[in-house]
Amino acid sequence: MSALRLISSAARRAPASFAVARRGYAEAASDRINLSLVLPHQAIYTSSEVIQVNVAAATGDMGILANHVPSIEALRPGVVEVIESGSASKKWFVSGGFANVHPGNKLTINVVEAAPLENFSAEAVRANLQEALKVAAGNGSEEDKLEARIEADVYEALQHALGSK
Amino acid sequence: MSATWRSVFTYNKYAQITARAVRNSLKETERVAAEKRGLTTVRYQHWENGVGGQQTVLNPELEKAPGKPAV
Repeated sequence: MSALRLISSAARRAPASFAVARRGYAEAASDRINLSLVLPHQAIYTSSEVIQVNVAAATGDMGILANHVPSIEALRPGVVEVIESGSASKKWFVSGGFANVHPGNKLTINVVEAAPLENFSAEAVRANLQEALKVAAGNGSEEDKLEARIEADVYEALQHALGSK
Repeated sequence: MSATWRSVFTYNKYAQITARAVRNSLKETERVAAEKRGLTTVRYQHWENGVGGQQTVLNPELEKAPGKPAV
């Protein structure tokens, strides 16, 4: 009789162990985004946890934080700013490419050319811009003029980036 | 901006043009190493019956700076 009571009480106790099992929260609590910023010849960031990334998308400047909605953004020639922790931020000027936010809090930025702002020479940019504007306004072929116009846009963006550092 | 290039250039060519512009604006020390990245050479060879023919280099005179980007 007592054995039966023991079994029944044990059966009543069994479900309690299931309630104690904890649910796992994967990356929902993370406040950092996993960034990979890569060039064809160099990887600047490879799966690094950063707080915020500011990019110059073709549709406008945007800041990407943790758990951003998945999206694909074409980048203008412009500045990519990475905020790793606190108030320290690093800036690179990129020639253009794509920023992809993947599901699962992952951001990959693929660009063709990029360099830290201090690697640029304001003098060279000014001279290049003058040269490009001259060709763009000259009387070459349509292709050459368009090419010069594209380059002039890059140099103007560079000047803006270097000037307002 | 200049979305008009889309009727003339492919995106690849556009990306090469902007990359070249960025490379040309670097400080002298970095620019020399970066310029090499802009060079592409193509060597092609016709194969027939398992035998390779003459290897020919496309655009052998690549010393002139800065050449037209590929594509």
